[in-house]
Amino acid sequence: MKPILANSCAHAATAEEARFRITREIGSRAALILALDADAADVVDRVAERPWGAARFFHADGLSTQQLESELEDADVAIMVATADADGEAAAEIARACAERGIMTAGLILGDHLQVAAAVAALRPYARNLMVTTDEDDVAEVLRALRA
Amino acid sequence: MLKAEINELLTQTGPDAPMGELFRHYWLPALLAEELPEPDSPPVRVKILSERLIAFRDSEGRYGLIDEFCAHRGASLWFGNVRECGIRCAYHGWKFDVNGNCLDVPSEPENSNFKSKVRLTSYPLVKVGDILWTYMGDRESQPPLPEFEFCQVPSEQTYTSKRWQESNWLQALEGGIDSSHVSWLHSGGLKNDPLFKGAKGNQYNLNDLRPFFEVAEADGGLFVGARRNAEDGKYYWRITPWVMPAFTMVPPRGDHPVHGHFWVPIDDYNCWVYTFDYHPTRALTKDEVDHMKAGHGVHSRNIPGTYRPEENKDVDYLMDREAQRRGETFSGVRGIAQQDASLQESMGPIVDRTKERLVSSDTGIIKARQKLRKAVEALRDEGVTPPGVDPAHHRIRSAAIVLPQEESFIEACRDALTAKPGVAHVSV
Repeated sequence: MKPILANSCAHAATAEEARFRITREIGSRAALILALDADAADVVDRVAERPWGAARFFHADGLSTQQLESELEDADVAIMVATADADGEAAAEIARACAERGIMTAGLILGDHLQVAAAVAALRPYARNLMVTTDEDDVAEVLRALRA
Repeated sequence: MLKAEINELLTQTGPDAPMGELFRHYWLPALLAEELPEPDSPPVRVKILSERLIAFRDSEGRYGLIDEFCAHRGASLWFGNVRECGIRCAYHGWKFDVNGNCLDVPSEPENSNFKSKVRLTSYPLVKVGDILWTYMGDRESQPPLPEFEFCQVPSEQTYTSKRWQESNWLQALEGGIDSSHVSWLHSGGLKNDPLFKGAKGNQYNLNDLRPFFEVAEADGGLFVGARRNAEDGKYYWRITPWVMPAFTMVPPRGDHPVHGHFWVPIDDYNCWVYTFDYHPTRALTKDEVDHMKAGHGVHSRNIPGTYRPEENKDVDYLMDREAQRRGETFSGVRGIAQQDASLQESMGPIVDRTKERLVSSDTGIIKARQKLRKAVEALRDEGVTPPGVDPAHHRIRSAAIVLPQEESFIEACRDALTAKPGVAHVSV
């Protein structure tokens, strides 16, 4: 066994030392939040009222293809928010545009499993990460966690 | 990322901390039954939720978990003698029973009743499966005993080990929820580990390194589904349950036993990881148990006579750069358990979550933190019993299954995700 010096081994991972890790500034994530139906639009509008860094909020049905492509130009992630009435075609269009640009997609579906089963099936092919939740706060929670 | 105050809320588990109070609503693994094998076994020091305790088994086989320190001068009872239905302090001979009652103060007159005024804190200690469980909360709120399937099946169908992890409990637990690291950190294990290899599902794993994730709420916590492409346009799903606060299961592989973990805070910088393997319908084979004891699968290879893994911080986890170069291990560390522990310990004793850059594949972790925070706040502010206390929440399983694309895993797997005595787990 080679001798292990205190300053080169994992034993240096103390709480005191950990305070000085990752000192570079961490910027905001450019997130596009897209409501896929009317109920989801209400939620997204409420969340949009809070202070955010680089998050931008839209209703999918009010966004032309050209506008979508323009908004995606500098986006890091597209988060689709849906309820039981999710528009699967809109999700497909967003997902295609994201895939072409290498932008990660996620879906937040609000409602009980049984009520939103069709929406989940519609979004599943297009969102790499899906969360089915009854808690509207999850929209803001995910955005905060992602530094949006 | 989390705000500093939320990180503190979720990671501090001492007696006065809200998260510590939440933990005190559950039955928690305190030690393995093998640590107190027979009446009058030597006592065992136990630290849980930053509280130092001593576990012992009296002459009649009763288990006790009491304050580690003698009520007289504060000496550790670990030096004590266990005999004649009590533990006697090695310093001045004070004797206590399994309920913390003082039975004898030798320096007092024989007819003194002083001993009746002396009592140590005590908690119930009950054997369920291979584990001795304790409940450290208010006695009036004590829930029924745990009903996790791994500790309900006959003893020949289950095996439990434990290991010391030198990090806060939450970053250890988060590793159990985070399925996205498996295809990288543990890629070697799928090909070589005797407790994994040979399952058809492994090929789906290895052929698709970019799984899709789906998180769904459960009564006691969450189900996290990872899906990969299977043949004929179907999806291969691996579904990981989390039961609050600290129980996770790994999706099974073929007919191998199914496994999981219980993550118990020792203090804010250390935790015990209890790791189990069981099969719902058959006895574990001798080979399987031998492999588990040797640190294969999700178990650790511990230093003999201890629960400290051989691949630990002090020896740089026995880093093997050659094995890393050959592709046998992705990180150079042997064994799935210590591959996880080494990375999680490297994050620091309590990782500073204000400095994270989470991505959307971390949705399971984000949701778990939110559920923990809400449960802690609801308990603290309104006295609401947290999810996972009710034994009905324990009767869950992990699953690995191939489903048509349009099917929801949570609906299609409702039965597969429910523990049923004598019924095999759903596995590919």
